[in-house]
Amino acid sequence: MASPSLRRADIAAALAVLPVAAYVVYESGRWPRLPDLGNPAWIPRGVAACLAGAALWLLGRALTGRSLPLVSPLLGADRRRVLRVAALTGAYVLGLEPVGFLAATALYLLGFGAALGERRWGRLALFAAVVPVAIHLLFDQTLNVPLPRGPFR
Amino acid sequence: MVDPGLLLQGFGTVLSGYNLLALVLGSFFGIVIGAIPGLTATMGIALLVPFTFGMAPITGIVMLLGIYTGAIYGGGIASILIKTPGTPAAAATVLDGYPMAQQGLAGKAIGIATVSSGIGGTFTALCLTFFAPILASFALRFSAPEYFALAVFGLSVTVTLSGRSPVKGVISGLLGLLIAMVGLDPMGGFPRFTFGRPELTGGLSFVPMLIGLFALAEGFRQVELLRSAPRVAAALRNVLPALADLRACAGAYLRACPIGLVVGITPAIGADTAAFLSYAETKRASRHPERFGQGEPAGVAAAQCGENASTGGDVLPMITLGVPGDAATAVLMGALTIHNLQPGPMLFQAHREVVHQIFAGMILANVTFVVLGLLFARFFARVIDIDRTYLVPLIFICCLVGSYAINNVLYDLVTCAVFGVLGYVMLRYDFPVAPMVLAQILGGMLESNYRRALAMAQGDASIFLRRPIAVVILVLAAVTTVVAVRRQREALRLEATSRRAAG
Repeated sequence: MASPSLRRADIAAALAVLPVAAYVVYESGRWPRLPDLGNPAWIPRGVAACLAGAALWLLGRALTGRSLPLVSPLLGADRRRVLRVAALTGAYVLGLEPVGFLAATALYLLGFGAALGERRWGRLALFAAVVPVAIHLLFDQTLNVPLPRGPFR
Repeated sequence: MVDPGLLLQGFGTVLSGYNLLALVLGSFFGIVIGAIPGLTATMGIALLVPFTFGMAPITGIVMLLGIYTGAIYGGGIASILIKTPGTPAAAATVLDGYPMAQQGLAGKAIGIATVSSGIGGTFTALCLTFFAPILASFALRFSAPEYFALAVFGLSVTVTLSGRSPVKGVISGLLGLLIAMVGLDPMGGFPRFTFGRPELTGGLSFVPMLIGLFALAEGFRQVELLRSAPRVAAALRNVLPALADLRACAGAYLRACPIGLVVGITPAIGADTAAFLSYAETKRASRHPERFGQGEPAGVAAAQCGENASTGGDVLPMITLGVPGDAATAVLMGALTIHNLQPGPMLFQAHREVVHQIFAGMILANVTFVVLGLLFARFFARVIDIDRTYLVPLIFICCLVGSYAINNVLYDLVTCAVFGVLGYVMLRYDFPVAPMVLAQILGGMLESNYRRALAMAQGDASIFLRRPIAVVILVLAAVTTVVAVRRQREALRLEATSRRAAG
């Protein structure tokens, strides 16, 4: 079986980068010109042109089958684990301020441990209880960096 | 020139109270980070930067120097014990370190690795101390055109030398340049790429982005690789190396120290290249090259000495010119900046005491990890076995809380998470992350100095060709880029040929 290549990823990356380059050209056209300081759009447009060129080069290589091989495809359980952790992290980022650091972190660590396959629940619960308190003491009490208190404000 | 009085005062400051504690803790944490395969020195520094906010600048900086040097050394422990480099820099240590462990000499290998790293690191820290003020005083002659040329040089080399695919390095670097433009125009003061969001007028938060790209992204990678975490089988005895063993490695030190220093100074190549070059040169000059790869102590000594000898060389252009040579020094530069210390020649004028304290810190950091490495070798060996199910969530929490703690705003947390996911996707699909960060640092330097130079010359762009130093640097940039691209294409061609031959 042929080894998987980065073809699809390269095509997706090139197609994602091209509109970025186009937007840079568009927005930089609206900036004011400053006498003797050079056109402020020159460097952004130069960068955008190089970016578009590099993206087209990558696209061309991918479409002609010259993409490099993918070292290890992300499949099955590995992919599920990464997606679960990404979703949990997103929820933690959004929930940190309303829920508060201690509760949000404890829940996050419990969910994280479970997502990684930990089934020793007592050990995991202890970990999820101790770590937020330790970090809270370190930041809030020792380094004087307040962390969100949530409903306990 | 270095001021001996200020240097002595610097030693006094670093060795006093909290600074010494911070140095020891930083070194300890650095060795732990280095010893765990998959965690890098860059990640360690990025992870701990937020913890330094509440500290005095020099306390925070010596802690980060301790992490940096400790992690570079610590990578060798895993190389010797489990044949898996703890950090990419320690790959060359595997060649003779692991065979020594298989022969029951793991303790001896770790002892030699520790002292050799200390010798290389101390040599390079001394060179940094003596050469940095000279380079900085030369750089005082630089003006906007020279800094523009320097930024072009740094960018061209770092971008083309990163990763397996030069075009992906270029894309990563160019995106970094665009990210650097978010915020107010450096000369006109009007907002650019802010999408009307007031949070973006000051630009994207640099430290949360660094933590996301270097630490959180690596955390995601660890989530993916969770099942393949290695286990230590070797037993450690007699870690303290005999004097005769070290004397037998003297030739390796004489070669590895200067090689490491020169490689470190060269942008975009770092500790891993230094280690391999030192190893190859020591093997070439040995009377018994056939012993290399079979458990030759000089092989371990050369690799470890070379990799740590690159650290001072890496720091040199960063601290004197404000041009970081690799990802780890880029993060260190970010840390200096948040403590209101802007690297560059002016740092040597405005903060002479702090600069000498940094030199003293760098020298003492290398001594500290030797002491810790020899005292706690058994503990560091056990760290490799740490349960990833608990370590990985801890890394995530430190990244996220650290990012939030910078300004206590949700925006920084979101920045870290977004760049963490972006960094992971980039790592997965072969887009190097380092050019993006280096380009961000150099992008600001490039753009503002380009515009300043034009202002100096009333808009005449030929100013860049009328300044001899700027011309030399620009020519160097062009030459090194062409050479780097050619070499990379050759390497890719060889890789493709060997793949075809393997069927």
